[in-house]
Amino acid sequence: MAFDISKMRNIGISAHIDSGKTTLSERILFYCRKIHAIHEVKGKDGVGATMDSMELERERGITIASAATNVTWGDHTINLIDTPGHVDFTIEVERSLRVLDGAVLVLCSVGGVQSQTLTVDRQLKRYNVPRLAFINKCDRTGANPYRVRNQVGEKLGLNAVMMTLPIGLEDKLEGLVDLVEMRAVYFDGDGGVDLRFAEIPAHMADDAASYREQLLDAASMFSDELAEAFLEGTETIAMIKTAIRKGTIALQLVPVFCGSAYKNKGVQLLLNGVVDYLPNPTEVKNIALDLDNNETAVETISEENKPTVALAFKLEDGQYGQLTYVRIYQGSVKKGDELINTRARRKFKVGRLVRMHAASMEDINEGTCGDIVALFGIECASGDTFCTPSINYAMTSMFVPDPVISLAIMPKDKKSADQMSKALNRFTKEDPTFRTYVDAESNQTIIQGMGELHLEVYIERMKREYKCEVDTGMPEVAYREAITERAEFNYTHKKQTGGSGQYGRVAGFMEPCADHVYEFVDSIKGGSIPNEYIPSCDKGFKEAVKKGALIHFPVVNIRMTINDGASHAVDSSDIAFQQAALGGFREAYLKAKPVILEPIMKVVAEGPAEFQGNIFASVNQRRGVITASTEEASFCRVEAEVPLSEMFGYSTVLRSMTQGKAEFSMEFLKYGKVPTNISEQLRKDFEEKRKKEHGR
Amino acid sequence: MLKEELIKKSPVRILEKGIEGGLMAGNIGVISSRKGIGKTSVLVQLAMDKLMQNKKVIHVSFTTQTSYVIAWYENIFTEVAKRKSLEHFGDVHDELVKNRVIMNFNQDSIDVNQMIKSLRALIADGGFNAESVIIDGFDFARAAVDHMTKMRAFAKEMNLEVWFSCTMAGQEPLLDKHNVPVILRNYLDNISVLINLDPQVEYIHFIVVKDHDRMNPADLHIKLDAKTLLIAEV
Repeated sequence: MAFDISKMRNIGISAHIDSGKTTLSERILFYCRKIHAIHEVKGKDGVGATMDSMELERERGITIASAATNVTWGDHTINLIDTPGHVDFTIEVERSLRVLDGAVLVLCSVGGVQSQTLTVDRQLKRYNVPRLAFINKCDRTGANPYRVRNQVGEKLGLNAVMMTLPIGLEDKLEGLVDLVEMRAVYFDGDGGVDLRFAEIPAHMADDAASYREQLLDAASMFSDELAEAFLEGTETIAMIKTAIRKGTIALQLVPVFCGSAYKNKGVQLLLNGVVDYLPNPTEVKNIALDLDNNETAVETISEENKPTVALAFKLEDGQYGQLTYVRIYQGSVKKGDELINTRARRKFKVGRLVRMHAASMEDINEGTCGDIVALFGIECASGDTFCTPSINYAMTSMFVPDPVISLAIMPKDKKSADQMSKALNRFTKEDPTFRTYVDAESNQTIIQGMGELHLEVYIERMKREYKCEVDTGMPEVAYREAITERAEFNYTHKKQTGGSGQYGRVAGFMEPCADHVYEFVDSIKGGSIPNEYIPSCDKGFKEAVKKGALIHFPVVNIRMTINDGASHAVDSSDIAFQQAALGGFREAYLKAKPVILEPIMKVVAEGPAEFQGNIFASVNQRRGVITASTEEASFCRVEAEVPLSEMFGYSTVLRSMTQGKAEFSMEFLKYGKVPTNISEQLRKDFEEKRKKEHGR
Repeated sequence: MLKEELIKKSPVRILEKGIEGGLMAGNIGVISSRKGIGKTSVLVQLAMDKLMQNKKVIHVSFTTQTSYVIAWYENIFTEVAKRKSLEHFGDVHDELVKNRVIMNFNQDSIDVNQMIKSLRALIADGGFNAESVIIDGFDFARAAVDHMTKMRAFAKEMNLEVWFSCTMAGQEPLLDKHNVPVILRNYLDNISVLINLDPQVEYIHFIVVKDHDRMNPADLHIKLDAKTLLIAEV
């Protein structure tokens, strides 16, 4: 079957938690005839929405894993990627965004733009994803899509235009006015499947006319043809659609649809919008890096006969082994093809190839460029690129932040211990922000991630999916150490214990360096250290910066310069110079006035204005700095910078303080200096811990 | 140049000298002009001067989003730092940011009483001991005399120096015969210092209309550079 790429859409649904994203996905599947009945999230029938494939997600009513599913709308194919809504799982969101060509930003018509909407929108902006907005829940008490539209304009800075208007609101929501076609649309029949078109009701005529004018004004910016036709009153529907599409793809316009997924109103019009206004894969520029050519940027070309370039963006542990979701950027992936994993430098043969529906799958023989398919039995990590062996590309490496929090975990019994390593192995492959290692000193398994909830979810998943129960230690913050002054060293490493000795002298200085984590400068003149041992010095320093002397956390933003030294014809060796460098580092480190740094989070808390004082106070108690506060009507939003170590349990505190009416989001901002009193406490705690461990 | 020197040489010192040592805590000052002359720039520079001295400032904006306000500070800070080749640029900048909170209100739904409540919450609950409050974009046409009396009492109670900006718009004459903007006539009792920004050909002149107890005192000899919008000596 000839495949028409222009009829394909890869879209994601991004939203704040509880804005009805899963219900919307469910309805889309229903209208596209992928499922036969509608289940509600947290459903009364106990089945739960189909997109929420994990049991845990079902229980919490949230979606964590991004399952990709393929649906057909009219003659268009849509790959729907359900993205997680919680900010703690942003790597999942970001990874999904990487493979999207367009997105639907779902907003609640009552809650409007909330802090997590801002986070999600910022991510869409970062990856230049064109978007539509869907103002959901227009059937709810207090619904006001016009206010939400204004918020999208003001708070998100988007050029938002109404595409549909609700006929009636709250429990009187009857249907919608389509401002392009200028007609009323009602959703009849079981599940609202039958569209009935009618005249715009008389009481809506003025509103419809004025919003249509706004729409045409905005759309005219992208088409001279439309602008002229509009002046003369001869505009056509095709002209309007073309102009809106152009503006949307150029990220200059955001068409806004209204409705209520729950009440089966407006979803079909949104799907038409996806097809009409969001780009097909050829309309989006994607860049790969040519690894054979110094990582030069190359644009991938959406043509089937070009060499294959595909990105593994999601792994899932299914009943039948590891399932790898890939987005094909160039060429095609056929059963039996030989591809190479350009990170692992490993060739493999494509075995079973499937198209996914949330919980069922369909076997296929080929996936073409632009498409999203899943492969079975491929050994890889998420973020890997697969190519035809003749080329060596990597898709742009995704932005992966370093983890900011760690937690020690101890399996409760022998069986759990076996399962634990299996689970951790799986999770680290799925999620690059989730890491794990065994601490050499305490021999404990440590897991690391982006926040408390992030780690909690994985511990839950271990319990549910792997039947692995663990005890956890106290969460620990990923501190850093840094020097504040320049200090010199001149260290001789000498050892004479029979046999060949060790000798090496290294001199130079260390200094703070703002733009690099670690830098090594060789200023040796006259060969006082032989060239072959220079890398040994670098290696020694690199070893040294892994553990600062204060509390044994990595030393960052440091430049090590060597300018002198000495060697011995027989006794000097790689090891000797590494040891000398290590010694030199230790000699200078405390002289360079080291300090402890801690992760500072950007925290945004929002809630009714009456709780503003409580929020201010809670930030203040947590050594936070309030940077901004916005108040509108009865709603306030407080932005602050707060050390991560003070944020443990904040969600509970905030909830109880505000009767559950306020919420917050946080993301890593920067590393900041720890105040002296806390720094002293940290050092004391560290010494005590060390003593205890040595005493054992 | 070191930060201390920058503070000493700031044109704000000349302004203070001209108005009997400054606005002083517990008082309200107003910078008025037509739209687009440079009121925000003046306010940001007044705030910046306090911030440089490690004093805490609350910047209230009724018109623009917090991100725009931040951009104003960033631009003026970079400009001043560059001109005076400020040392320890990064550290000074971080300190400034720490001492500043930006508040954003919408006057459609937030009146002076609500603003005072929020300021009080920030100072008391938030533990933010501000010395100065900058209020930009407040529409005096939509306020009442009673509001300004309350604001003044609040400034006295909290020991705050409060600077407002005031946009003069609409029909001429905008000023009465004492040079007082017509829109501010009813509030004059609660205003300690009133400065008009008067655009000339090449620069913008500062005209002190009210200086504590004196009306229309001697010229200050300071101006706003029309290009950079920085305060400078004439």
